Amino acid sequence: MAHMTDPSHSTRTRGRALVAAASAAALLTVAACGGSDDGGGGTDDPIVIGISLPLTGDFSEPGKGVQRGYEAWAQIVNEDGGLLGRQVELKILDDQSNADRVVADYEVLIAQDEVDLVFGPFSTRLVVPSARIAQEYGMLFVEPAGAAAEVFEQGFDNLFYAAPAIADDHYNNLADYILALPEDERPETVAVASMDDPFAQGTAYGLRDKLAAGGLEILVDEVYPPNTTDFSPIAAKIADSDADVVIGGTQYQDAVNLIVALQQLGYQPELAAFSTAPTNPEFSAAIGAKTEGILSPTGYTPDATWPSNADFVERYTEIHGNPPGEDEANAYTTGQVVAAAVEAVGCAEQGDCQQQLVDWLHENEVDTVVGPLSWDATGKPQGAHLIQQYVDGEITIVLPEDTAEAAPIFPKPEW
Amino acid sequence: MSGSLLLQSLILGVLLGGLYALLAAGLTLYFGVMRVVMIAHSAFLILAAYLAWYASSELGVDPLLTLVVTVPLFFGIGVLMQRLLIRRLRPATLTMMSVLLTFAIALFIEGLIGFVWGGTQRRIQLPYSSSSLEIFGARIAVVKLIAFGLAAVSLLALYVLMKHTRFGQALRATIQHPEAAQLVGIKTDRVAGLGFGLGLATAALGGTALSLDATIYPSLHWHWIGPLMAIIVVGGLGSIPGAAIAALVLGVGQSLLQVPLGTTWAQTIFYIALFVTLMVRPQGFFGGRLAQRF
Repeated sequence: MAHMTDPSHSTRTRGRALVAAASAAALLTVAACGGSDDGGGGTDDPIVIGISLPLTGDFSEPGKGVQRGYEAWAQIVNEDGGLLGRQVELKILDDQSNADRVVADYEVLIAQDEVDLVFGPFSTRLVVPSARIAQEYGMLFVEPAGAAAEVFEQGFDNLFYAAPAIADDHYNNLADYILALPEDERPETVAVASMDDPFAQGTAYGLRDKLAAGGLEILVDEVYPPNTTDFSPIAAKIADSDADVVIGGTQYQDAVNLIVALQQLGYQPELAAFSTAPTNPEFSAAIGAKTEGILSPTGYTPDATWPSNADFVERYTEIHGNPPGEDEANAYTTGQVVAAAVEAVGCAEQGDCQQQLVDWLHENEVDTVVGPLSWDATGKPQGAHLIQQYVDGEITIVLPEDTAEAAPIFPKPEW
Repeated sequence: MSGSLLLQSLILGVLLGGLYALLAAGLTLYFGVMRVVMIAHSAFLILAAYLAWYASSELGVDPLLTLVVTVPLFFGIGVLMQRLLIRRLRPATLTMMSVLLTFAIALFIEGLIGFVWGGTQRRIQLPYSSSSLEIFGARIAVVKLIAFGLAAVSLLALYVLMKHTRFGQALRATIQHPEAAQLVGIKTDRVAGLGFGLGLATAALGGTALSLDATIYPSLHWHWIGPLMAIIVVGGLGSIPGAAIAALVLGVGQSLLQVPLGTTWAQTIFYIALFVTLMVRPQGFFGGRLAQRF
């Protein structure tokens, strides 16, 4: 507008206002940069950690769980004197479950806000694009949720998944159990429905492929887009097949909708396994307590006896009034992993420090609330998941045998 | 495809189509009366669903009872919206500008819902949520049946209102030829306002029906507006019976296609029907030119 030759008064005024606004913005930026330069060597500045989470949209339910976990971690660390003697401060943006948004968020956090560290977002779909940004800026990227195999096939060397196992291996214990059943009891047919999402498909297909290899017949194999709200047609197909086993590659609400739709059709499988949703504290109420026998892989149980877990559960419960779920625990684990590296290396800032943190994590094992974690070169954790089942309305760990609270119930009671 | 699955899919399709029909009826009414493309229709739908959810989950009131409040409320909002906003648009660019205006309203409502209730997905949990009736081996969920019944009764009421009341005649006259309607003494402005309110009242009904058996979240309305727009074009813009028939046909089609094609591709039926309609019969299959035949 300043270049226009229009002599009208209002244009000139607006032009001047623009210039003024621009200079004000420039001043502010300079001031902000000055501030962070001063703090570079100081020990009083908080360590700022940048995070983008899906607080609205498709993944808002687990996204908020991750947020609770991160915030609990920050609060507990700060109560204990902070990291390297500095307080930690979280800067959380809402990516609305949108992959374009998550990229922009991490760009802003790293380049513009100059955060000292970043933590990962929720869900594989968002982890891959954001890990790429972190890689470009040479940032350490520990994430609580990108469990699909494809995350580890992108050539990232800065990424670490802060949970015991990747998606494809979540059901390993259950697959072994089913295939070990005596011939006459073993289920023969399987129906699969999965969200078109790398994590959800990873979990479901991991189990599906192992069962198919073990001789079970796959009768239904459906994929639905993440925005699906009407599950009746899929449920109709599954009910019509009358498969012995139903596997749901689900996140949260899709599992609730699918299970209710299956119940509406009177379908009673011998075994029902759904990812993620059954580990959510809201799950039971959402499907009207008709949860009997539902199985789910879980990377976490509040009852686990790992050294830091009892403390975490107690202090988390103090803050929120209820024990943490898996999303909260994975987020907390992310914090623990980064904190271990920061304390060991002795720095938390952008630049060379990040590579030192990455190198340290590649070489060391970290004790967390989900057990000791170590990673291969691609950031893939080297463990397996527990299997939980709803027994009399309570979540019970049923597999593997050595950590089980009770034996699995098969065939499952009617829901 | 087995016979029982076919029957089951057919029943699900009819139940879904019934809901589409009610929702599309409101949408086509705005266009018929005022040449307004009402993008915010489905946003109001979700708002009504949220009110039903809120009443059910937080206040312990049966979701159907919220209709007593939401239907008059939405009617009032519709009349006010027409009086205060839509009428100010210039007639020459009304259709274009109404897209922008109602788009903004849709965003506003979406933001409002997110602000008040958060972005979390919600679902009404009723004691009979998972119960069903069995008919010839197929099962009909009770909640879906209630939703369908609500839609059917509302559509019937709308039809009777349009066909057999003086207001309905005035409304239809306004749809068919506004100038002629004015000449015979119909206050088309007033009628248009009431027509707009009527359209929005169907959103209240549809939203409540929807809330009985669906997950809701603030941005869900984008998921609905596409198929609904396609339905009213296929049915012939402005024609309520056309919209209802197209809704049933496409709803059943979607449900049946889901069996061989899966969920992802079955959704495309609406857009394929839209393209085919625009190529073969742009005025729609039931509407005639702008709903001369009502």
